[in-house]
Amino acid sequence: MTSETETLRNPQASAAIDELSTYKWGFATDIEQDFAPKGLNEDTVRFISAKKNEPEWMLEWRLKAYRIWLTLPTPEWAKLKIPPIDYQDAYYFAAPKAKPTLASLDELDPEIRRTYEKLGIPIEEQKVLAGVEGARRVAVDAVFDSVSVATTFREELKRAGVIFLSISEAMREYPDLVRKHLGSVVPVRDNYFACLNAAVFSDGTFVYVPKGVRCPMELSTYFRINAENTGQFERTLIIAEEGAYVSYLEGCTAPMRDENQLHAAVVELIAETDAEIKYSTVQNWYPGDKDGKGGIYNFVTKRALCRGARSKVSWTQVETGSAITWKYPSCVLAGEDSVGEFYSVAVTNNYQQADTGTKMIHLGKGTTSTIISKGISAGRSDNSYRGLVRIGPSAEGARNFTQCDSLLIGDKSGAHTIPYIEVKNPSAIIEHEATTSKISEDQKFYAMSRGLNSEDAVALIVNGFCKEVLQQLPMEFAVEAQKLLGISLEGSVG
Amino acid sequence: MTALPTRKAEAWRYADLKAVEALWPPQPARLISVRAGEAQEEIVRVREGGLHDLRVELAAGATLRLVILVQSSGYARVAVEAHLNEGAHLDLGGILLGDGEATQEIVTEIRHSAPGATSRQRVRLVVDDRSTGTYLGRIAVARDAQKSDAEQSARALVLKRTATANLKPELEIYADDVKCAHGCTVGELDKAARFYLQSRGLPRALADALLTRAFVADALTGLEDSSTREALEAETAEWLEQRA
Amino acid sequence: MLVIENLHANVGDKPILKGLSLIVNAGEVHAIMGPNGAGKSTLAHVLAGREGYTVTQGTATFDGKDLLDLEPHERAAAGLFLGFQYPVEIPGVSNLLFLRTALNAQRRLRGEPEISGADFMKKVRTESAVLGLDMEMLKRGVNVGFSGGEKKRNEAFQLGMLEPKLALLDETDSGLDIDALRIVSEGINRFRSPERAVLLITHYQRLLDHVRPDYVHVLADGRIVETGGPDLALRLEAQGYEGIAA
Repeated sequence: MTSETETLRNPQASAAIDELSTYKWGFATDIEQDFAPKGLNEDTVRFISAKKNEPEWMLEWRLKAYRIWLTLPTPEWAKLKIPPIDYQDAYYFAAPKAKPTLASLDELDPEIRRTYEKLGIPIEEQKVLAGVEGARRVAVDAVFDSVSVATTFREELKRAGVIFLSISEAMREYPDLVRKHLGSVVPVRDNYFACLNAAVFSDGTFVYVPKGVRCPMELSTYFRINAENTGQFERTLIIAEEGAYVSYLEGCTAPMRDENQLHAAVVELIAETDAEIKYSTVQNWYPGDKDGKGGIYNFVTKRALCRGARSKVSWTQVETGSAITWKYPSCVLAGEDSVGEFYSVAVTNNYQQADTGTKMIHLGKGTTSTIISKGISAGRSDNSYRGLVRIGPSAEGARNFTQCDSLLIGDKSGAHTIPYIEVKNPSAIIEHEATTSKISEDQKFYAMSRGLNSEDAVALIVNGFCKEVLQQLPMEFAVEAQKLLGISLEGSVG
Repeated sequence: MTALPTRKAEAWRYADLKAVEALWPPQPARLISVRAGEAQEEIVRVREGGLHDLRVELAAGATLRLVILVQSSGYARVAVEAHLNEGAHLDLGGILLGDGEATQEIVTEIRHSAPGATSRQRVRLVVDDRSTGTYLGRIAVARDAQKSDAEQSARALVLKRTATANLKPELEIYADDVKCAHGCTVGELDKAARFYLQSRGLPRALADALLTRAFVADALTGLEDSSTREALEAETAEWLEQRA
Repeated sequence: MLVIENLHANVGDKPILKGLSLIVNAGEVHAIMGPNGAGKSTLAHVLAGREGYTVTQGTATFDGKDLLDLEPHERAAAGLFLGFQYPVEIPGVSNLLFLRTALNAQRRLRGEPEISGADFMKKVRTESAVLGLDMEMLKRGVNVGFSGGEKKRNEAFQLGMLEPKLALLDETDSGLDIDALRIVSEGINRFRSPERAVLLITHYQRLLDHVRPDYVHVLADGRIVETGGPDLALRLEAQGYEGIAA
């Protein structure tokens, strides 16, 4: 291990992590916070906008969204049991009390710094994710409750022409770019949660990669919910101009709390001609305890517009956390020969519920999409894949391949596969396959006879089951994700 | 179910709701029940529009071979709800041939309620002109229905850019020791097969007709009585020849 | 019968045949041998008219007719038969239905009357017996569930049933064990007559032990680089393609 990673692993932090055996990211950080008044009304929206020093057009945009939100019904089609949510019993803005702008990273509140250190997130430049030797450098935007607290490698990226900022800063520094693209892929009235996000989103990440630029490092945002009773509503906007390339990672955790907390994010990606965006997520929000108490409601809208010819967007997600997940990262394939990919691992245990999948909307000629989904259900959880493949009349020669595999661990959980295939073009070729299985006793016995204990044997087999997806992740994340799979399934094997 | 369904209802998302309204409320479901250990074969031909509900009850060890052939001019919907008891077997073949402006649907819900039941579904859709063909197929395996084996294959051929095929093969699984799989494809006729036929002297149109006929006939392979099968094959062949 | 002059052809954008010339007369058996990638299968597919194979230069005539101008099924009706290296499986179309449809389609195009059911079945029985294919197999889908050897025997059976003038056999010997090779070879030998010709495309000499060719050609890099008698095949076997084609 290098000396740099040693500094990240300070003994106290390591001890704190080790104490928490199942959800290791469940500690809370005690810092001074600024809250918006509890509840949601137009004043809350004005408060957030004022707090962030936003231009007038932005406030108007938010207010319009709020008024539309009041008229929208909650979505009920998912295979989820969502308890009624009291939107008035939550805080919509929580920010660490600190200087409004930091002159350098050294001025960051030491408590927050320590939090990220405990989480193994490098918010100091030159640091890499803990535990991985020879890892590439990763630029990080750290979002703590409602605001971005640190963005690293900003200057170096700027020299390459890449803009990597919190979205609040981007709104002030690049208002035209933000105004032009915000809400262009996920319109305000798209759905209930996206609309709520438009009204109250507090921060998030903005990435702009200009024409012909290959982003020199991985970009990443690390989301952390800390405050109690607080919803997190972040918004991410990534634009890759002609011929640009960017790989972006996001990770998320939250403290263990008995009540449910809402996370309703919106992510918009735009890929122009020959551009490529790779978007990877390791979602590890607090899933609730083994009796299903507490946990994050993760209601997220993610969508990419492949606008240019030969553009490509690849979504990779490893979903292990959250009490309820409702999430369908999608691609609108408008450009000719554009490519959409969705690789997903979703693990549910105890009383977790996940309804996740994708939408591939083929509009352009020669568009192709690939969907690989691996669902693992353990405990008393329910895990659904829900995916739409739509081929429009103009999508001559479009192709889709979908493979959905479900793995059941124990006989108290549920695994569901719900694909929608809608085809309006005779030349399209669609192939969809789905299987449901359990871990075979033979496989388990074989691994155990070679010395693995029951849980390690299951973890090994599950990792094999997910391999096609895990290998899509950048190396640093793949290692973390593998560990996470094992931890998520702890206690699921009798 | 007495209230008129809306677009929001998953089972009606592709329906012609205007037509449904005119047909509402539906007639009570026709009951097909097979006694323990017995076997039965049923052919359901739908040539006229309407809502056709079937309720299938298979007692322990019972077998039903069911073929549904839908080819109507107006809106037609055949909905099958089947309950499979221990060790029962359902073989379901569905053929949907659409032309003109027709919206047609085959909707199945196969409930494996007890251990050891098996089901096999093969559904073939051919849509031409401005027609819409839909297959919604749900397989539900209950908590205790271990050793269930459910197989589902759905394929569609879209003949024109104005036609639409919708497939929604769905698995709802609550038991872990099961074998459940579905596969579906939508696409053109196999080019290699077409060339093979052409190289033996078949003109392209005839090669396509033969391949389409074979594509459809796949849904009839569960029938034991060859004369019934041939009669149904002839019926679909006639429709296909009119297309060519 | 078959006259190919200076034939150039692409697969996609890639030139494969680069000026191939060949004359096959009635009554003759020709073998085309060559290393992998020389263009052997491309030649077979170009002559049979497969999509995706584009002739960029040169001519090919069959009994004086421009072969390249015909649709694949018209070439079949004119008397050209392609034995596939990888025969295609067609589920749901029985071998018998397929053959009868093909035979009658060819006859119609030639202006001949259709074959009667009785005559057809009589012919099926004779030809299938020679190749050891039973009736149950023939009732199944085309090549469905057939082993590699059975597929090749089925190709030889179709050859006997359709009675073309020229048999173009693409790697017919690949995937055959020694017994199957003998049976298929017998089928080909039965087909030989003063009015008919055979063009064998093969990588190995072993088929030529059973079907003796009049001429052997070496195809390399899209052209015929050497022509000789049956002894050329033996030399190839001994020296390899490198020694001859260099």
